[in-house]
Amino acid sequence: MNIVVLIKFVPDLVEDLEIDASTSLLDRSFLRLIPNELDEHALEEAILLKERLGGTVTAITVDFGDVDETLFTAVAKGTDRVVKITGEDFSQGVSNEKLAAIFQGVLADLPCDLILTGTQAVDDLDGFVGALLAERLGLPYVGYVTKIDVQDGKLVARKEYPGGLNADIEISGPAVLGIQAAEKPPRYVVTSKVMEAMKKASIDEQEAGEASVEAELPVQRMSLPETGARAEMIEGSAADVAAALLKLFRERGVLA
Amino acid sequence: MTAKTIIVLLGFLAAFSLFAYRVYIRFRHMRLGQPAGPFDRWGARLGSVLEFVAAQARLFRYPGTGLAHFFIFWGFVLLFPTILQAILEGLVPGLVLPVVATFGPVVLLQDLIALTVILGVLYGLYYRLIVRPERYKGSHQFEGNLVLVFIFTIMVTLLCSNGIRQNLGAARVAAGWQPVSALLGKPFAGLSPHAQEIVEQVCWWVHLGVVLVFLTLLPLGKHFHVVTSIFNVLLRNLEPPGRLAPPVRVDGSEGAGRVEHFTWRQMLDWYSCSECGRCQDVCPAYNSGAPLSPKLLIMGLRAHLLERGNALLAQNGQAATQKAVLDKRLTGDVLPDDVLWACTTCYACDQECPLFVEHVQPIVDMRRYLLTQQRGDQQLTAALESLRRYGNSFGKSDKQRAKWTTGLDFNVKDVRKQPAKTLWFVGDYASYSPALTEVTQATARVFQRAGLDFGVLYDAERNAGNDVRRAGEEGLFELLAQKNAAALAKCQFEEIVTTDPHSYNTLKNEYPAGLGAAGVSPAIYHYSEVLDRAIQSGQLTLRRKLDYTVTYHDPCYLGRYNGVYEAPRRVLAALGCRIIEMPRNRDRALCCGAGGGRIWMDEGKVKERPSENRVREAAGLPGVDCFVVACPKDLTMYRDAVKTAGLEERLIVKDLAELVEEACAGGPQPCGANALPVDTQAGSPCHT
Ligand code: SF4
Ligand code: SF4
Repeated sequence: MNIVVLIKFVPDLVEDLEIDASTSLLDRSFLRLIPNELDEHALEEAILLKERLGGTVTAITVDFGDVDETLFTAVAKGTDRVVKITGEDFSQGVSNEKLAAIFQGVLADLPCDLILTGTQAVDDLDGFVGALLAERLGLPYVGYVTKIDVQDGKLVARKEYPGGLNADIEISGPAVLGIQAAEKPPRYVVTSKVMEAMKKASIDEQEAGEASVEAELPVQRMSLPETGARAEMIEGSAADVAAALLKLFRERGVLA
Repeated sequence: MTAKTIIVLLGFLAAFSLFAYRVYIRFRHMRLGQPAGPFDRWGARLGSVLEFVAAQARLFRYPGTGLAHFFIFWGFVLLFPTILQAILEGLVPGLVLPVVATFGPVVLLQDLIALTVILGVLYGLYYRLIVRPERYKGSHQFEGNLVLVFIFTIMVTLLCSNGIRQNLGAARVAAGWQPVSALLGKPFAGLSPHAQEIVEQVCWWVHLGVVLVFLTLLPLGKHFHVVTSIFNVLLRNLEPPGRLAPPVRVDGSEGAGRVEHFTWRQMLDWYSCSECGRCQDVCPAYNSGAPLSPKLLIMGLRAHLLERGNALLAQNGQAATQKAVLDKRLTGDVLPDDVLWACTTCYACDQECPLFVEHVQPIVDMRRYLLTQQRGDQQLTAALESLRRYGNSFGKSDKQRAKWTTGLDFNVKDVRKQPAKTLWFVGDYASYSPALTEVTQATARVFQRAGLDFGVLYDAERNAGNDVRRAGEEGLFELLAQKNAAALAKCQFEEIVTTDPHSYNTLKNEYPAGLGAAGVSPAIYHYSEVLDRAIQSGQLTLRRKLDYTVTYHDPCYLGRYNGVYEAPRRVLAALGCRIIEMPRNRDRALCCGAGGGRIWMDEGKVKERPSENRVREAAGLPGVDCFVVACPKDLTMYRDAVKTAGLEERLIVKDLAELVEEACAGGPQPCGANALPVDTQAGSPCHT
């Protein structure tokens, strides 16, 4: 099975996020970008599948900046081919619609059996990229996938629903799957293997084609969460606290 | 030629050939290993042999058995000509070695030495069979006892023969020169001379037989150390203990995944293991109930080398058994992963081994392999991932590394921008752990009071990599070391001081020389040494005498690895504290359990955490209510341990710098008699 994994880079939340002067964008000047965590799960799932079923894994990302190390790490983990889409300055961020269009362009020349990507990202909790891309490619899309299996020659994706429900969905033909979690946490490859990959592997650079985007969702205003004085500390001895709690529960109608 | 001569010669031939063959097999197996050496500094090497083989210095760390072994060893060496004489004489009647057999005082000495050997053996048997210490658990105890019985027999038969010869008037010296022999001959004196001759013959045959059988058995097990120990000590590792050997290649295929990936020198270690269990006895992992025993690890490696060596070298053995052996994985089957991950790299075992067998190095060699195979535990690899991405195990931004400085009322120099005499390498725990911010600030204030011209690297500091390396991630260690070295090369400073003994160790022993600007090698100190210096030189004025009774815990990487025992104690004494030592102190100090990357790993199932065992040890000291540490990881581990061990009321864990600040009386919260809660005994550090 030949699997393509799409990786995008998102702001690293260990840094303090700031909003720029336009008030509709993140201030990217000091931002650290890291690969989207669920995309890393998608890559892991792809490699697990390859180890089980054979085939190839291709990882594709857009040149957001420092992406090479991530791609070489992917090689060290077992990815056969890594592609970096260049052509424009993407470091200021790319909208989901545009990203889907760019990926579509590259995938046109890259026949594959399965396209995996993270089901969402910290900057895209709606999980648009996979679905938009599937729409563009005319392929089925399943999100929130936690497991991929082959039964009787057919692909079966396990989709997780809220409330602990799972559904096993049979897929025929190529499809786009949004991965919620790989079967195992993404593997750690030793640094020496990453270094070896840097020496031996090469990144396939491809120009982004003309990406036509029909509709985008422009951001009007971005803001940090407004913190109100919500929390009320109850202090005193255990008995005082218990009494205050009881009173509160009664007031708010939790207890009769 | 008599029949007796022929039998004896054949016996000799058989025994020596079998011995030689068995040694040869082991030699061939050793040649499957990787190259080692070159070996230099022969003066120091010969000195080691004198100190550790001849004087058996390390054996005396266990005085009773050390003494017994000393007598048996020297007895054997000194009695060698005597034994030879006895055997030759039975063969060629009238053959007499000069002096050995004829000079009264020498004969007397032999007689007495034989007695000490017998006493040594009896003590050994008593120790093994009656005392039965835990450290022999898992050793080949039958073999140990058998050999003691052999030695006993060799000595007793020798003395009996001598005694009988005295009875028969056939001795070459007066009975007075052979008091022990004469005593042993007494019971036979009543027999007819003929009967006595028969007994003497029996003694002779038994003596000879046991000597030859013993010889053939030597290479098979733990007693091979009789032969190998000289070479093992001669070729011992003379590098500082804190310098691990790097892998030959760092290309993703590093580490030891097969027994033949070790060097022949390491294999010689395994042949030399006498299964004495001293390493196991002091191992914090073993004693906490973790699956690791350094002794069983070495025995396992030796046994596996034998079977795999045989299988590899067999020309056309039984294919099936051969395959089964060759399929056995070194890591996983022979030594399960959890055994290898349990080690805290505390160095107690290496230091204790009388024969300089190394444990930490092979464990790290195998961990390197495990990591290339993605067989590290989840928590460990998550920490490594953070270390690779952010340069710290906390997964925090490098920009927050020096955030602790914001709580100070003075500015800490950025050595990248301003030269400073002392570059303070703060380390991950002291920098990032919220629980330690106070202590790190206290250290900074004390430095400031001492007039130390110091600065830190701010965002440019990375984890020094000591434990990354010991967890087996060599490539990441190299990366971190390169980044630190590059940052240091751009700064102007004369010396480095570290908070963390782990950083101290790797910076001092493993980083390349010439870390300073223009390639100058800076002196590297631990903060306890800098505080000691500041107090001794009078730069730091102590205003208050701390009338506390404390105990001090030696961090592995400061004490055992780098021999810094006295500086922190001198500081405590200067503060006015009374130090009561724990039974396990200085080089015998128990590890807290955090080293070698253990702090990042899943704890696994243990009977009692080493850190809890340690605080209980301290709590057993009457009068001591303050447990002083000099390592941020220790502070974390032991503050936790006093809680889980339920000793919060009994012990308070303090960092050395906190006490120094208190004695300077410059801390934000003066702490001492005035500040004590009423119900606390005066003269103890304030309980916060
Ligand atoms: S280094 Fe310490 S933990 Fe590791 S085997 Fe030796 S004694 Fe045990
Ligand atoms: S390795 Fe050393 S200390 Fe451990 S059992 Fe063997 S000889 Fe004794």
